[in-house]
Amino acid sequence: MSEILVYIQIVDGGAGDVSLQALACARSLADSTGGSVTALALGYDIGASVADLVELGADRLLVAEDDRLSHYLTGPYKRVVRSVLDANRFDVVLFPATTEGNDLAPLLAAELGCGCVVGCDAVHVKEGKTLFRRTEFDRKVHTDYEVTVGPAIATLRDGIADIPALGERRGEAQSIAVDLGPADTRAQVVNRDVVPKTVNLKASRVIVAAGAGVGGPDGFALVKDLAEALDAQMGATRAVVDAGWLPADHQIGQTGVTVRPDLYIACGISGAVQHWVGMSDSKTIVAINTDKNAPMMKRAHYRIEADLKTVIPKMIKALSA
Amino acid sequence: MSVHAVVIAREMWDTRDLVGPVLDANGAVKPGAVSTRFEPQDLNALESALRIKEMVGGKVTALSFNAIGDVDVLKECLYRGADEAIRIGANPIDLDTAAAATLAAAAIRRLGDVNLVLVGWTAAEGESSVLGSCLAGLLGMEQISFVDRIVEAGDEFVIGRRAIEMGEEDIRVDLPALLSLGVALIEDDPRAPRPAKAMLKLKHKKTEIPVWSPADLGVPDPASNATTVVAAMESVPERVIESTAVDPEDESGLKAMLERVLKGE
Ligand SMILES: Cc1cc2nc3c(=O)[nH]c(=O)nc-3n(C[C@H](O)[C@H](O)[C@H](O)COP(=O)(O)OP(=O)(O)OC[C@H]3O[C@@H](n4cnc5c(N)ncnc54)[C@H](O)[C@@H]3O)c2cc1C
Ligand SMILES: Nc1ncnc2c1ncn2[C@@H]1O[C@H](COP(=O)(O)O)[C@@H](O)[C@H]1O
Repeated sequence: MSEILVYIQIVDGGAGDVSLQALACARSLADSTGGSVTALALGYDIGASVADLVELGADRLLVAEDDRLSHYLTGPYKRVVRSVLDANRFDVVLFPATTEGNDLAPLLAAELGCGCVVGCDAVHVKEGKTLFRRTEFDRKVHTDYEVTVGPAIATLRDGIADIPALGERRGEAQSIAVDLGPADTRAQVVNRDVVPKTVNLKASRVIVAAGAGVGGPDGFALVKDLAEALDAQMGATRAVVDAGWLPADHQIGQTGVTVRPDLYIACGISGAVQHWVGMSDSKTIVAINTDKNAPMMKRAHYRIEADLKTVIPKMIKALSA
Repeated sequence: MSVHAVVIAREMWDTRDLVGPVLDANGAVKPGAVSTRFEPQDLNALESALRIKEMVGGKVTALSFNAIGDVDVLKECLYRGADEAIRIGANPIDLDTAAAATLAAAAIRRLGDVNLVLVGWTAAEGESSVLGSCLAGLLGMEQISFVDRIVEAGDEFVIGRRAIEMGEEDIRVDLPALLSLGVALIEDDPRAPRPAKAMLKLKHKKTEIPVWSPADLGVPDPASNATTVVAAMESVPERVIESTAVDPEDESGLKAMLERVLKGE
């Protein structure tokens, strides 16, 4: 029997993708071990947008709404989730492995004295034990963790499960009281700079991505030209987003999106693991890099050891010929 | 109130350019398969602590465990300007994060007047770490995680900037607090925490770093605080990529390659 709680992160006013995947994962875990799934969503004015979580796999939906929860902050969010954990018995508590989930989950585990595994790629049951699988050592080793002091808290990475189509399930939705004190609001957001989404990279079949190797506006413009010539979307590393060349929703990787395109062309990207985890499932990878030893070059199907400033114009020419 | 910052400095597996199998036939990490280094994010944590000290005055104490390889991260901290270093006399490899955090929390309590704790957010070997969060939970400190850089600091507060999924935000937190730092930080030269200084190397040549044993810390059996066990480890089958070098000078070769990949070959 597994009583499972799934933390639903609100993204753009609705349940985030990775949270929905975590919910699907919880559903299959509960179906195989016998148990039930509770989904928990925190925010402000979100009730309507999370109403279909029961059709997506939750037996019970808890919604906490308060204007002090309108943006994520560790203190107040932790307080609310903690109150739910104190009032109910759960065997497994799942979070999305996003900034938010990876922030909250281990903190709650430390407070409760229970075990926590972050960044899991799989959850499976073996000989009656629920095992949480992480990929470690630069993605060379799978490690299965068993949590010995429950509830088992875990954060699950993008790709853990497919989001199911809306089903017929009928669960109950229930709003819960939010009780916050001064101790919960010792940290404050003094400035937030968040851009609205402009692309959906996840749906792109061909992605041309720029890294710090573009060097400046000229190099960047070339990569953009290549993307246009291929009718592709542009992706970026964090270095490029930090430089202000592309908005944040183009960022691929651990703190960006995870993509699985048919073709990924990496232009001047070293292939740091935080980037690699966001695109390693691309079907075909082409790398352009001056450094043949860059990790991205070692992992690409086609590697072009060259200055992107000279080779990209040739590629564009080849495409138009 | 002035700032007494503790930095947790970890010696970690260096997974850059990791080649060949990491595990032996029994599924354990092969001795010598991976070398170690000063976890880069912890170097950033140290750098941030030193900068906060420079801004508002105070003291920086570095805390670590027994060495697992050849890098003495505590000496490295002293060489960069930490005022004091303390070694927890336990082998971190034998402990899960919860158990290690219990020891670190006890050491921080023993120091007494600590009002700021800085740790690196991830550990390269696992891509994410929970040490900071565990510590924050145990010490009852407010935490800000994923901090990229310190925007401002005062006697009683710190403002940290962090990347969030669609941008960034600045968070002000009253001390005591715990900050976990990411890798891409510190404005003027993101990748360059200050190097070791020759003067300080000389000064600390003979410095004996005190060792606090688990018993000293009132945690005689740290492993009993573990909350997870490794059930199994196995090598990920190498994703066999048949890598083809494409000659950048050969325009028809480039064209043929593009045609192939666009057809999904
Ligand atoms: C928590 C966290 C989340 C992140 N999320 C993402 C993400 O989602 N997407 C993403 O693309 N990136 C992310 N990053 C940043 C990532 O680690 C790389 O910095 C980034 O991918 C590099 O971009 P690049 O390939 O364009 O350029 P570069 O990495 O500039 O090229 C890297 C070069 O820098 C060198 N280098 C690395 N470290 C040092 C050092 N300490 N001193 C000297 N040289 C060094 C390497 O040898 C390499 O050749 C994240 C980092 C952190 C800490
Ligand atoms: N002009 C270039 N063309 C192709 N790759 C480059 C170029 N400049 C840098 N790179 C690579 O892009 C990555 C990021 O560059 P850097 O920020 O200089 O480390 C590194 O792996 C470089 O080798």
